[in-house]
Amino acid sequence: MSRILQNTPASEIAATLREAKGYYITNTARDLSQSDFKNRILLHTDMMAAASRDRAGYFSLEITGGASIHVDMMRKQVDPFTKLKLLRKQMPNTMFQTLCRGVNLFGYRPYPQNVIRFTVQQFARYVDVWRTFDFLNHVPNMIAVFEEVATAGKLNEPCICFSTGDEHTNEFYVRKAKEIIDVTGRDITLCIKNHGGLGTPTRVGHLVDSLKQALPDIPVHYHGHNTDGNDVGRIVEAVKNGATIVDGGDSAFTGFYGPPPLLSVIQTLKELGYEAIGIDEEAVIETSDVIRDERKYYQQFESQIKGFQPTVQIHKLPGGAMGSSLEQASKGGFLDKMPDILHKELPRVQKELGNFWSVTPGSQILWTTAVSNVLGEERYGNPSGDLKNLLLGKYGPFPFYRPDNWIYEKVFGSDWQQIVEDEGGADHVADMDLGQERYALAEQLHVEPTDEQLVLYLQHPKDAVDFFKFEEEFGKTHVLPPSIFFKQGGFDIGEKIIFQDFEGKEHLIEMGPSPVTDTGETLVYMNVDHHPTVFNFAPDKEVLQSSQGKELTKEQILDLNRAGDVHSLLSATVVEISVEEGQEIMVGDRIAIMEAMKMQTPIVAEAEGIVTNIYAKAGDVLKPGDRILTIDRDSE
Amino acid sequence: MKKKILVANRGEIAIRLIRAIQELGHEAVAVYEKPDEMSRHIRIANEAILIGNGPRCDYLNIEKIIRAAKVSGAHAIHPGYGFLAENPFFAKACEKEGIVFVGPSSQTIADLGNKVIARKIMAEAGIPMVPGTPNLSPGKDGIAEALAFAGEYGYPIMLKATSGGGGRGIRLIESDQQMKEQIPVARSEALAAFNDDSVYLEKVVLKPKHVEVQILADKAGKTLHLGTRDCSIQRRNQKLVEIAPSMIKNQPLLDEICATAVKAAKAANYFNAGTVEFLIDSDFNYYFMEINTRVQVEHTVTEMITGIDIVRNQINLAFGQDLSFDQSDVQLRGHAIEVRINAEDPKNDFMPEGGKKVEVYRSTGGFGVRLDGFVYQGYVIPEVYDSLLVKLTVHGFTWDETVGRLIRCLQNFHIRGPKTTIPFYLNIAKEKDFVSGDFDTSYIETHPHIFAYDCEDSEVGKLAKLIAEIHYRKENTFAV
Repeated sequence: MSRILQNTPASEIAATLREAKGYYITNTARDLSQSDFKNRILLHTDMMAAASRDRAGYFSLEITGGASIHVDMMRKQVDPFTKLKLLRKQMPNTMFQTLCRGVNLFGYRPYPQNVIRFTVQQFARYVDVWRTFDFLNHVPNMIAVFEEVATAGKLNEPCICFSTGDEHTNEFYVRKAKEIIDVTGRDITLCIKNHGGLGTPTRVGHLVDSLKQALPDIPVHYHGHNTDGNDVGRIVEAVKNGATIVDGGDSAFTGFYGPPPLLSVIQTLKELGYEAIGIDEEAVIETSDVIRDERKYYQQFESQIKGFQPTVQIHKLPGGAMGSSLEQASKGGFLDKMPDILHKELPRVQKELGNFWSVTPGSQILWTTAVSNVLGEERYGNPSGDLKNLLLGKYGPFPFYRPDNWIYEKVFGSDWQQIVEDEGGADHVADMDLGQERYALAEQLHVEPTDEQLVLYLQHPKDAVDFFKFEEEFGKTHVLPPSIFFKQGGFDIGEKIIFQDFEGKEHLIEMGPSPVTDTGETLVYMNVDHHPTVFNFAPDKEVLQSSQGKELTKEQILDLNRAGDVHSLLSATVVEISVEEGQEIMVGDRIAIMEAMKMQTPIVAEAEGIVTNIYAKAGDVLKPGDRILTIDRDSE
Repeated sequence: MKKKILVANRGEIAIRLIRAIQELGHEAVAVYEKPDEMSRHIRIANEAILIGNGPRCDYLNIEKIIRAAKVSGAHAIHPGYGFLAENPFFAKACEKEGIVFVGPSSQTIADLGNKVIARKIMAEAGIPMVPGTPNLSPGKDGIAEALAFAGEYGYPIMLKATSGGGGRGIRLIESDQQMKEQIPVARSEALAAFNDDSVYLEKVVLKPKHVEVQILADKAGKTLHLGTRDCSIQRRNQKLVEIAPSMIKNQPLLDEICATAVKAAKAANYFNAGTVEFLIDSDFNYYFMEINTRVQVEHTVTEMITGIDIVRNQINLAFGQDLSFDQSDVQLRGHAIEVRINAEDPKNDFMPEGGKKVEVYRSTGGFGVRLDGFVYQGYVIPEVYDSLLVKLTVHGFTWDETVGRLIRCLQNFHIRGPKTTIPFYLNIAKEKDFVSGDFDTSYIETHPHIFAYDCEDSEVGKLAKLIAEIHYRKENTFAV
């Protein structure tokens, strides 16, 4: 048996997999980056690994999709298409794989059908394997993606999202699988998406066995996370029971919440008599040797909480959300509340809300609700817009049961039944006028955008434009290694920075002194390719503000808010200021909507009076302690 | 004998003149206005005199310049180009004060500065000129003369105010009807603007090439030419790119034009350096335009292909020396291109970028490359003067080699702070009509795509900016 090469037709891939004696491995580099490094692993590091990864003989390299499209642009300042093109040059043989959220694509809310199709068409030119899921396992939410992938001649890998609990039976999952195959046909790989690393090895083995009994000709791809430290066990049982493809990561970068080290999988299964088809173990080892030294530069993005979390079986957070949840708890100052949130409130909310699958965007809804239930004064007292949409069925029907009426009443008020009747059910998201969108983007860029730029803009309009403007100002910065890109504390005088630009030209920057002038301006001197250069930085007001803000404790902020001087409690972006200066408001009125960690949270007034001054505006990024607005309580 | 020469100018030409003066073993006296106190020519000169707060008015003030020359004991004044360079009263004042004026006599400057007199001199010498009329007679007679001229040469025709200049007082006439209407209008406008209502007509030469001939003449009457330059790439009569020699593939024509230029200079009793300008139409008809009685901005291209230092010769000629070489010694070798790198935004109608600080100034070099500039890193471009920062002149054995050298130099020339014309010139240097040497004065307007460029800063410059950000903020705020 040998490896499957890029450009093999989907039907041939499926046929080869059906006959396979042994198993294949997908290197889930993207999922590893997302779960254990907050999605920050740079293209520079993936490029270092590219040659040996291509030789290693993986079924596929999962390198795009999920939250990475967003983070590529927003935090890594790299064009997700450029990334695929550059990697393809270095990796001519390996299939590239994406993770697609169906109707929620590479974002967090349902997109119009024409946007979904256009997006898949553009990405399908570079992506061979399309792992597609829906957090409610609602098959209609994935159909547009299935169709476009098939039209592009690429391989569909539909998922059944997996979880544990009374409702999560083999029968249910086999029925779901059949429902999917009715749409996609049989030349697919079927993914068991175990995004939390849930269930015991035995449980996963039984599920694979049931699927293979019912659908013997459908190749099964087991995807898991190592949050509890036991995913190798689940993988072994999956393969023993007939799974054809499994996932793992490069050991030099494996952490606690992403995939397990794939070399451990290979070694374990080898002894049991299962061959890793096409795998060149030396190339696998070489990859880790090549990138191992880079890991230290990503330290700030690794989980602050060390160790595996077997309690994932209780809270069920997906690996991809573990890092960001812990980060939010740490930044929000409620790490001490985490045991309560994770082990008591989350499982409770999960049950109350229908026991669906805790994966994007459902995992964010569960998490935000649980956090707000614990930190707020009243459970479900401060519902997010996304929770409302979930309850209204905007994402699709609940798979097992609907939440209880009291939750609806809490969220929507006493006339909740009327609201559900009026607004409930899946919205038909109208097609967007793509010509109009293209024009709007051109207006902002001052040049005609490419189709790929338009796709990125359609996913995340503001962040895409910010990225395009960043690139105009700072160039193609993906050439910078993490040692520079993530440098903390500044460079030393005389430090030499050597890199190649995107055209391959060599450059040298030598850092000079950075004196501060009388007017407070900082002059950063450097020699750029041996030519002296200076950059001026005016004293930064923002820095001053936030350093003042940091002096406020959470209690102080809460006190101020109750007194009508409303400050932000968290690091978040203002989506909307819902009131105007001079407006009279009551306690509990919504005054703003903030967005953090993909979730929108309404801010409600804790004092009544008249809005006197509004300091923040939509689009502002606030830190804890930054002022939003003031309410004058004396004027009645 | 060692002399002191006052340089009555600023910017790159001041430095160019100072260099020639010092190479001759003389001493250079700079003058400057207050807004120019950070200018480099002050530091390069042997001495420098502040002549006032300006702006511009002191560089144009004959009395102050003469006084500065006397205070410093200067024997001569070199006016450069612009400012007082073609002001006959300035030359006259120098003559009166016994100061050597580096240029032709005040009489020659006055004669050639008056278009009607200049045309008369050239007509008498048999120099081909764009068909035109003398000043039109007043009233109906004038209109009848105009219609008769139109009947003979056809439209379009340019109606010009005799005292106009610099593009002012000119209007295009395309029919008899327009002619009748416009002459009275033009007269009253000219009267208001120039206090002189005389107007005359000139046939319009469509899509001409602008070709000029560099002349050197000594007081003994030896008049030599240094070959042709083509300055067709212009924007609203402002030259942007100049080459030498002309790329017209008709050597007998170019020889004839050079001989005509010498004849024209002799007819005007010309001495010192000058430039005879011609228009050449697509049928190889050529017409005399004017004689510039000063050193030209674009003199560098001629120097590159002849190896003759024009400014050095200007000074020696002004001190009464004869030309030490003959026409047969003037050999044209290869090609040269000059681009005027201006602090302007071509995309924004060449809006000047004055007031901005030159944050990065990284010039180029190597074989066949010449730079005539005056700015430096940290220099704040005064808003009150012209926007020329540096002239880049390249020289090559063949045209292709020269164009390749120009592209290479522009790619390696980095100025950050003000927007410059560098990326615009880079587009021209790569444009096929320019590369084939085929361009006329309509080039800029007929090639709008040369305005399409986006890279105004080098890639490494942009990356360096991010690295500076990461350094200053102590972390990459875009990444965390």
